[in-house]
Amino acid sequence: MLGGTFHAAVLFLVAAGLQLVFGVQRILNLACGSFYALGAYLGVSAVTWALGAGLPAPLFVVVLIAAGLALAAIGPPVERILRTIYDRDESFQLLLTFALVLMFEDVIRFVWGTAPHQLGSVYLVYGQLRIGGSTVPVYNLVVIAAGGSIALGMGWLLTRTRFGRIVRATAENREMSEALGVDMTRVYRRVFTLGVALGTVGGALVIPATAATSEMGIELIVEAFAVVVIGGLGSMRGAAAGALIVGLLKAGAIAVWPEVEMLAVYVVVIAVLVLRPAGLFARAAA
Amino acid sequence: MRTTRRQFLALSGAVSAAVALRLDGVPAFAQTGPIKIGVLAAKAGVLAPVGESGLRGVTWATDRINAAGGILGRKVELVVEEESSPKDTVERFRKLVLSDKVDVVSGGISTGVGLALGPVAEEMKAMWLAWDATTQKGVEETIPKPRYAFRSTDNECEAVMASILTAKNWKGKFRTVAGINPDYSYGRDNWAAFLAIMKKYGIEIQVVSELWPKLGATDFTAHVAALQQAKPDLIFSCFWAGDTPIFMKQAHAAGLTTGTRFVLTTGGGVHESLKKAFTPEGALLGYNSMYFEHPRASALMKEFVRWHQEKFKEWPNYESDHGYFTIAAYKAAVERAAKAAGGKWPTPDAVIPALEGVEVESLSGPRRFREDHIMEATFFQGYTTHKNRYDFATIDPVETMGTKQIQKPTGLGLYDWINSWKV
Amino acid sequence: MARTAGGLAALAVLAAPWVAPPYHLTLLLPAFAYGIVLLGLNLLFGTTGLLSFGHALFVALGAYTAAALTTGLGVLHLEAILAAAAGAAALVAVPLGLLCVRYVKIYFGMLTLAFGMLFYSFLYKFYTLTGGDEGIRVLRPLLLGRAFGDLGKVEFLIGPFYYYALALLAVATLVMWRVVRSPFGLCLRAIRENPDKAAAVGVSVRRYRFYAFVIAAVFGAVGGALLAVPTGLADPLLAYWTHSGNLVFMLLLGGFDHFLGPLVGALVFILLQDTVMSLTAYWRFVFGAILAVVVIFFPRGLLGLLDPRAGRSA
Repeated sequence: MLGGTFHAAVLFLVAAGLQLVFGVQRILNLACGSFYALGAYLGVSAVTWALGAGLPAPLFVVVLIAAGLALAAIGPPVERILRTIYDRDESFQLLLTFALVLMFEDVIRFVWGTAPHQLGSVYLVYGQLRIGGSTVPVYNLVVIAAGGSIALGMGWLLTRTRFGRIVRATAENREMSEALGVDMTRVYRRVFTLGVALGTVGGALVIPATAATSEMGIELIVEAFAVVVIGGLGSMRGAAAGALIVGLLKAGAIAVWPEVEMLAVYVVVIAVLVLRPAGLFARAAA
Repeated sequence: MRTTRRQFLALSGAVSAAVALRLDGVPAFAQTGPIKIGVLAAKAGVLAPVGESGLRGVTWATDRINAAGGILGRKVELVVEEESSPKDTVERFRKLVLSDKVDVVSGGISTGVGLALGPVAEEMKAMWLAWDATTQKGVEETIPKPRYAFRSTDNECEAVMASILTAKNWKGKFRTVAGINPDYSYGRDNWAAFLAIMKKYGIEIQVVSELWPKLGATDFTAHVAALQQAKPDLIFSCFWAGDTPIFMKQAHAAGLTTGTRFVLTTGGGVHESLKKAFTPEGALLGYNSMYFEHPRASALMKEFVRWHQEKFKEWPNYESDHGYFTIAAYKAAVERAAKAAGGKWPTPDAVIPALEGVEVESLSGPRRFREDHIMEATFFQGYTTHKNRYDFATIDPVETMGTKQIQKPTGLGLYDWINSWKV
Repeated sequence: MARTAGGLAALAVLAAPWVAPPYHLTLLLPAFAYGIVLLGLNLLFGTTGLLSFGHALFVALGAYTAAALTTGLGVLHLEAILAAAAGAAALVAVPLGLLCVRYVKIYFGMLTLAFGMLFYSFLYKFYTLTGGDEGIRVLRPLLLGRAFGDLGKVEFLIGPFYYYALALLAVATLVMWRVVRSPFGLCLRAIRENPDKAAAVGVSVRRYRFYAFVIAAVFGAVGGALLAVPTGLADPLLAYWTHSGNLVFMLLLGGFDHFLGPLVGALVFILLQDTVMSLTAYWRFVFGAILAVVVIFFPRGLLGLLDPRAGRSA
């Protein structure tokens, strides 16, 4: 169960980024997986360098988050590229993000090579706990807590801050918001950057437990899509619920019927799309 | 204009004749100038590190050969293309043979590609020396008597060796067994071989968990949880990619590495990532056909390892040896055939019988191609130790077994062969 | 002007086996096969306005049908294989289509992507049936009953098979031309422009989309079967979502607005991929960049460039 929650926490971060961008800009960003991968690779490089430069081990998580946040800098330029086709058909936007996926794949390969990159032993720096018969690294709990706090933080941001209100208003009714004087360009840029940051931080946070591999972005997209479909496009609560469902479903499949591990997620996605196409927390969707 | 069937056939007959005539006009092989060797190396995805490793072996072999004057005085030129999906790789193979006019193609790792390239090599009458990807299906079902396709060692070799070692050294020390293997032919074939050999040796085991994560998966928290529940005495895994260290790390984090015996048949391929921090001592670790720090390594091997470490800051793995061997074997075969032909550059048809049975000194020791075009080599496995100067685990002592012990002989199916053992 | 260009192109393609190097001829074969696939995909996208990100499912289905028939059942007649592929596609497309056409735009894209990946996983997992990651061989077929046994595979491919594939492409093009020009095609275009208006004038939007979906599926599978013959293998990667992405890429490159866009797109993509792959290991980056440039600056594709009028002949 806890294993499923760990995976869910990471999925939530990526899916939240997807949801945010879709909710406001109506763009389904296939490149979210690429941002995730970038966060992972840079996380490894940053922490390896920092530890080599004498950083005390328990502070590595700070470096990770910093690396993830630093990567948010690619948000504005990418958004600028996407901005050129905001007014076009959604299909084109999807295709443009697909183009980004291809490009990022090779950028990662160019910078970091093809071998997996990992952080050796920082995973266990915080020790382990025995919970209900199994040993769990405290870091997993840290990630789950981080995911949870970011979820709450996003919720607070969207409901209690001015920025959040603008974001929600824009999501509801773009024209009206613009008519009321909201600077669309700035909103879009900030929302997109926030979405990118969620993905890169997610990738960075997961890296101590796993390794950065070249396919991680492409593989994650399908799962992130599943989360978004199950939860409902554009809904932050949906991202959280969807991530939990997907994470627990996979863990359940592995525990009970390992053979169907590969198929389980797709079957559920299709089931949701068929039975309740708007997802669990529907918005007035397309 | 409605073309009748007869007209179509007549037209196509004429076209075929014309085409055949055109292809005949192309010289079958060149005799002077550099010789071109085509290489298919995986560059992206989970196979990429393995492809890169093989390419390094090929490149090093080629550089050495050229430094010594080439093959029969002709320099070797490598034409490198990417191995990707079977469809695309077949197209690159055709390009190498038809457009670049290479004399031989070296490469090929994934099972799908291996299965596709075999028939294509035969159809195009182009010599193909594979690095890997040898499954039962690829060998027996597709082309039972290949002429142009030369394959690597069987995929099951390391599982066979690991199973024999486990049966000999750990008999009576384990009862419950769990398997966590990548969900594709390699994973299934190795797991099945392990179970069959345990049975052959009369070792009573109870399989408490069989997990099948996707190849190249990066998260095993749920799998580790399932394994913790199942409490196996022994965990068998033929992971060979980035999944290996991730699994070990997560298994260690959950406390699985104390008290459970691990059999990692192919994990040695990513040995540098198996850090001491999470890789226990006493696990059976397999390095396929090359161990970088063998105490009895030849001068050739030492030179290669030194070059590799200096250039790439990494220690090499087995695919380099597969790559090296294809080039060395080709050179030896050409020289052998040329001697028979009075010193002239041999035709491809003369090289093939020279390749059959050719034996060369490869990086990890002598290797050869059997008459049925399957590679024979030595395999290296051992029990992990932390007593070394690296931050990753190595093995000590190193057990070796040749393919005569762990690879099924010509004409015999794997399970028939296992059943015929005297144990 | 377009007529002469088209005529010259047709002449070049017909004459190619006499003059072009063998390798480039083998390259044209997937171009023909993809041409057929894309004609179908364009009915869905260009004409009806539905972007499928899972169309590779039908391409793979066609390839596996060819494999099952040649290897499994010993049926080697290419005509039978193509018919079986079309039938299999229709069989699968009916329930799939009924489901998918209830949704539009993003949901349609996501649903088709999910189904494509489900099929991929199915092909991968049920290995006793599908061969798993190893795939199933596609044996050399008989063309109109003739084996051409005296020809090697390459001679076969660049000779009789080349003309067969070309003829099939011509037939497929003619069929699609009739479909697109028919009242049915007109309705599809109306649905794309404004579904509500179309419904208001009595066009059964969902039903027509469904028909387009099935027709596209059939074209996809026929192209897929043809595609598998040169490779000689049907493998699960044919169904992966990035393959679907490439199909859309090809379509965009050629110009989804124009009837012959699919054919141009397939050809240009194949030739471009071959050239770029040989030039750099980072060809994915180059292709991504090309796609980005096309989407942003030349969304109507190559034919849209050459034909500055609103080339709405599709």
